[in-house]
Amino acid sequence: MSLSPVEDIALSEFSPGTVAEPAAPGSGFVGRSPGQLAWARLRRDRVAMVSGGVLVFFFLVALAAPLIQWAYGTDPQQQFQDSLDLYGMPLGYAGGVTGSHWFGLEPSLGRDIFIRMVYGLRTSLFIALAAGVITTVIGVLAGVLAGYAGGWLDAVIGWVTDFALAMPFLIVALALVPTVSLRFYGPREAVPSSFRVAVLITVFALFGWTSAARLVRGQVVSLREREFIEAARASGVSTAHMLFRQVLPNIWAPILVSFSLAVPSYVTGEAVLSFLGVGIVDPTPDFGAMIFRSIHYLQTDPTYVFFPGVTIFILVLAFNLFGDAVRDALDPRSNR
Amino acid sequence: MRPRVAVAAGSAIVLFAALGACGKNTGQGTATDNNRTTTGVIATDPKDSMGPAAPVPGATKGGTFYVLRQPKINHLDPQRVYSFAGLSAAPLYSRFLTTWKDDGKGHLTLVGDLATTPGKDVKGDCTTWQFTIKDGVKFEDGSPITSKEIAYGIARSFDPDLTGGPTYLQEWLANTPEYDTAWDFKANKTSLPPGLTTPDAKTLVFTFQKPHCDLPFAASLPFTAPMPPAKDTGVNYDNQPFSSGPYKITKIVPGVQMVLERNTNWDPATDPVRHQYPDSFVWSYGADATAEANRIISDSGPDASAISWDGVPSTLTAAVAGNASLKDRTLLEPTPSANRLTINMQRVTDLSIRQALNYAIDRDDLIKALGGATVASPLTTLMPPATLGYQQYDAYPAGPNGNPEKAKQLLNGRTPELVLGVADDDQDTQIGTQVKNNLEKAGFKITVKTIPQDSKLDETKKKNNPWDLYIDTWGADWPSGASILPPLFDGRTIKDEGNSDTSFMNDSAINAEFDRILAMPPAQQGPEWAKLDKRIMTQDAPAVPLYVDVAFYLHGSKAGGLFIGSVFGYPEFVNAFVKP
Repeated sequence: MSLSPVEDIALSEFSPGTVAEPAAPGSGFVGRSPGQLAWARLRRDRVAMVSGGVLVFFFLVALAAPLIQWAYGTDPQQQFQDSLDLYGMPLGYAGGVTGSHWFGLEPSLGRDIFIRMVYGLRTSLFIALAAGVITTVIGVLAGVLAGYAGGWLDAVIGWVTDFALAMPFLIVALALVPTVSLRFYGPREAVPSSFRVAVLITVFALFGWTSAARLVRGQVVSLREREFIEAARASGVSTAHMLFRQVLPNIWAPILVSFSLAVPSYVTGEAVLSFLGVGIVDPTPDFGAMIFRSIHYLQTDPTYVFFPGVTIFILVLAFNLFGDAVRDALDPRSNR
Repeated sequence: MRPRVAVAAGSAIVLFAALGACGKNTGQGTATDNNRTTTGVIATDPKDSMGPAAPVPGATKGGTFYVLRQPKINHLDPQRVYSFAGLSAAPLYSRFLTTWKDDGKGHLTLVGDLATTPGKDVKGDCTTWQFTIKDGVKFEDGSPITSKEIAYGIARSFDPDLTGGPTYLQEWLANTPEYDTAWDFKANKTSLPPGLTTPDAKTLVFTFQKPHCDLPFAASLPFTAPMPPAKDTGVNYDNQPFSSGPYKITKIVPGVQMVLERNTNWDPATDPVRHQYPDSFVWSYGADATAEANRIISDSGPDASAISWDGVPSTLTAAVAGNASLKDRTLLEPTPSANRLTINMQRVTDLSIRQALNYAIDRDDLIKALGGATVASPLTTLMPPATLGYQQYDAYPAGPNGNPEKAKQLLNGRTPELVLGVADDDQDTQIGTQVKNNLEKAGFKITVKTIPQDSKLDETKKKNNPWDLYIDTWGADWPSGASILPPLFDGRTIKDEGNSDTSFMNDSAINAEFDRILAMPPAQQGPEWAKLDKRIMTQDAPAVPLYVDVAFYLHGSKAGGLFIGSVFGYPEFVNAFVKP
């Protein structure tokens, strides 16, 4: 669960003081904002474009899941056990891949793998993005406060960060998740999947904000003594203005990078918890739970392992490549 | 970059093509023989109880026989053995009062093991049972086994520290379930529990206050194994039981292996069932079921004379059952272990709802969800087919896929909301999904509630548990209706916790039937239990019978003489040998 902190971001490029003044008119130079420069660099990066395209595709699939279900004509809970043999294995070629079941059927329960993956993608991306946004917001707020205020507030936030970092994530999650549902739901009430999703997001939020907070605090501490901050302070602006108009706009780049690298780690983190049986549970479609079930069929139905495994691999790879590309675009000096 | 991308894409395509090329699954395969029924008698001719056991065709002496199993056997102390692995291993190193002569095809004869006959009902009312001990039976050090050592073994099972074993004899002798307070073993180590006497070194007499016609059956469990008082090490006896059988334990490495070697003081002429073919048996622990199965399939080295105790995992059955070359290395038999969807009758009081559940159940698809025909076999009766006197019937005929229409008709427009409790492990949540989808087609509204796996049994055995439906398994200790129906459905036994009557059925007419049949001679009880089974299902429908477990085992090409026991449904080693 380590979120790669972005170090060594070249801030000079984004500080208002260093934005190059447009050169003399007529010489062919065009004035560009740092954002435009980064965008142009991203556009030139083929890996970024491909991985970005893959991500857009996955997002569209996840968003359009009900539409796909309608067009595909199969429900994620529907069982096609008539297409299974007497050992519960799918009939036909490659785990029951047919025109009506594109990725085949699950052994034993006989549910359609394709539509479950579409919905699983939805679960995965929703949890990862929500967790990413929440951890980033908490991390940025804590980091800015600690870095700008300094003193005892900085120390307290530092202790809390250290405390959260010291907790073993997996063990706490394994202990916490099952107990929480026992606390909130009676012995005869089903635990809705939305509750499990919320618990997962909360667990990620509890642990994930620390790296963003440390990153932002470092950046803010180094900005605090800069001339433009001193100028703003001299002109008597409010603290809120100082934080959100002066400081924050100058550290967007590392925040964005840390966010884009955090999301794929939540995708895998969620899959790991579901794999271990404390995340999303059957019958809610989910990649981790699906891979956990499929792994036992590696010898007898390899296609069942292949499709969810490859999809989550491509998803996480695309996120990571895109995150790297965003960092390269925002910070050309780190380019190797 | 480009060529590498092309290579990656190319290999992905090749990989996928390879997956597809594995061949078309056309649904062929061997089905389990579901018609195996059990017939059994109690030997009346003392010759049946005499040794030596008939030689196994083709068996040769020598070699080492391996048993692969993931966890170690939890107890080796015969007074504490109750796990199936323990029940299969115990006959190798200990002998009991009586034992089953089993041909592996369902024909059982209860014979005397250490005793010359499977018990004599002295007064003809099942209250006094007399056993005469055979001549020439010895422990591993050559000292003779007398009725004193057998009585000491039984007395020792009263010790509350020695938990885990069966409790029939203790409860029957003390005439109370709290037998350990009725007679304190630790304070009376030199005497015997009430009702147990040894008039001389060859005679053992049980005197019960109530008739217990099943005593000869109960005496076949390992807790009647003899033990010299000098060898008793209490809870540590698990580490090195003192052998009376054809093998003695020579080495135990906890969690790794157990080695048994020939016991030269065992006399085959006294033993009606056991053989002594391999030089040694090695129980080897650690590998999981999938690894075990793959080792046996590759059949190399010591694995050629091994059996994988954990069976073929359901995820691998298609590969094993579909492989014709493995066919003569598999054991495939239905077991007496019966699974039912228990209906909590304290909550579901309406008979028509319970009947509708019985009509709605889709056993065929449930078995597919479990892993297919080599994992489970459908059951419509409360007693499994491997019960003496079994009669096949279906009180709610709905076909293999159930009859949701008939169920809806019975429900008459109602949508009963029921909560199905399942353990939170992988297999059970899957069954939960399956049963929910199945029953909702018939108009029920099912909530699947997971219960932490380690507490599921304790929780569902509580009288006021909050669930309506849960899946229960019952493996009887001997194949008589007496060890199935009264424990499961006698409402007079209901207590606050630890109930076996998890349906919480209490029907006084049925309870009276239990008493009537239990007082009959065991040989005549069989057909009566079968009739009562049908009556309970028709009148009360306290459960939905689902399936019996199917035993599916793989063994190496050199392992011979193995069969699935008709009593417990697990591999038996009394005939085992290693092919040269």
